[in-house]
Amino acid sequence: MTINSDTMRHLSEAQVSVELETEDMTLNIGPQHPSTHGVLRLVARIDGERAFDVQPVIGYMHRGYEKICEVRTYPQITTIINRIDWVSGYANEIPFIVAAEKLMEVEVPERAQYIRLILTEMARISSHLIFMASYPLELGAATPLFFALRERERVLDLLESVTGGRFHPNFNRIGGVKPAAGAGPTMKKTSQDLPANFLPETRSAMDRVMEVCDELEDLVAGNEIILARTRGVGVIPVEVAAAYGLSGPNLRASGVPFDLRKIEDYLPYDRFEFDVITGENGDCWDRWHCRLQEIRESGKIIQQAIDDIPSGDLLAKVPKLIKVPKGETYVRAENPKGEMGYYLVSDGKDGPYRLKIRSASFSNLSILPWVLEGVLVPDIIAIMGSLDFVLGDVDR
Amino acid sequence: MTSSPSETEAAVETEPQAHPLQEYADGVADAVGGTAEIQFDTIKVKVPNDAWVDAHVTARDQFDLVFFSWLSAIDWCNEVEVGDELSEEVEERFELLTTLGDLTEGKRVTFSTDLDAKTPVIPSLIEVFAGANWHEREAHEMFGIDFLGHPNLAHLYLPDGFLGNPLRKSFPLLTREVKPWPGKVDVEAMPEKPTTENPES
Repeated sequence: MTINSDTMRHLSEAQVSVELETEDMTLNIGPQHPSTHGVLRLVARIDGERAFDVQPVIGYMHRGYEKICEVRTYPQITTIINRIDWVSGYANEIPFIVAAEKLMEVEVPERAQYIRLILTEMARISSHLIFMASYPLELGAATPLFFALRERERVLDLLESVTGGRFHPNFNRIGGVKPAAGAGPTMKKTSQDLPANFLPETRSAMDRVMEVCDELEDLVAGNEIILARTRGVGVIPVEVAAAYGLSGPNLRASGVPFDLRKIEDYLPYDRFEFDVITGENGDCWDRWHCRLQEIRESGKIIQQAIDDIPSGDLLAKVPKLIKVPKGETYVRAENPKGEMGYYLVSDGKDGPYRLKIRSASFSNLSILPWVLEGVLVPDIIAIMGSLDFVLGDVDR
Repeated sequence: MTSSPSETEAAVETEPQAHPLQEYADGVADAVGGTAEIQFDTIKVKVPNDAWVDAHVTARDQFDLVFFSWLSAIDWCNEVEVGDELSEEVEERFELLTTLGDLTEGKRVTFSTDLDAKTPVIPSLIEVFAGANWHEREAHEMFGIDFLGHPNLAHLYLPDGFLGNPLRKSFPLLTREVKPWPGKVDVEAMPEKPTTENPES
């Protein structure tokens, strides 16, 4: 008996209907999708309701900062690195400035360090509040957005009153922070370095932030739909998180009490009491909850720092023409998104020979293919949102 | 639910001799067959080319350096400014760097190895640290380093069909070629003292 092509086709169709095979489908998400926080594209291959292979496509926002930094001088670079993670631009400046100060062996005045610390924590609060606003929204709860953004606006107003910029403060200088007008290091200080009432207003803003945390907890933790969509979803074990370089709240949600503020000495965090927040299961819910509690801890740090902020200079004595001696160092800091670090290679000139930018969101996002394997299609958004990345931080 | 690590790394001054981390650094270097150097609190362990993957396995398993922070490279070609032609005398090499950390005491070690400039090839770390995947893709497109055993060395940031390796020093930054501003324009020496004594007027 010979089998012609028609019979073959018939046989193959018969087999398909017996085994109930569903066709694989490729679903393209992004790059312009509201839940991707920027221009991220996901190519998801799905089988029925489950995704079995999700590949992120990044690079739409690649600006080549590492190359640009090689032709800039050190003071010019703070402007650029502000724009890496624009949700917490202020915090980006710190590790780079500290790296340059390390190589130059500059001692930063106490007051400048405290101002840096207060503003860094305010950047952390504003970044986490954005997450508090956007994450429930992605899961269908719109109300927390208004609570979170209102407080964030107050924090940003205060940041702006000191630095002049809401998103891109560009406030740090090598050796300290930018002195207020008329209060330069060479002249007698006549004007205040911080705006009048900044410290009391920050204190009351922190009280309000603490209150809004309680409200957010009520709103979100009491929402059964959100609990059902986040509990046990997107679980990341510690070993996997570490191998992918997950850091910050994403790592701590998996149960590791690892916080660079307790380990590195880039800012005087050891003088303040605060807890390292950890989760238990490493699921989406823990990642949300860790961030909420971290807002409270940041508020505590700021209150303590306001209590004992010393007076004194804002800038150490540094030459007008900044040249960094030969050397290499890696300085990392606990940014709102995770470990942000700069590997600075100086060849003794006025700009870096090479500046490797280690951004937190890049590593945080690289775990997506692993964590999205086999999840339900709507969980893609739930898991992706819980990692709290910013595309500027991914693409650099 | 909350806890704070008791271990806080002491703030250390940079001294050329007897760095508090020196013993630890030497221990790591001996185990992986490399040499240790501490610069500004950064431990750098230089390992030979062929011990690259084994060094990372040892660091992960024996020294608990389980956290893969980053991987990147440096184009060592000192005499050449960005965009200049390569001069023949310079011995060009790539230095490949990774930084690993541990999650209990907060130690971190930077591993480094030298790669030949003509044929930069090194086995991939992807079997040791899954997170090396994207970092190696980035180093591949930016420096042209080949990672043997990497499943997918497609462009990560750059568009398909992009020619060249942008982070090599020989790769010209075209905007700077046509217009030097705002690159290094403000490096001209400023007058040391303000000319007027009274800034209010």
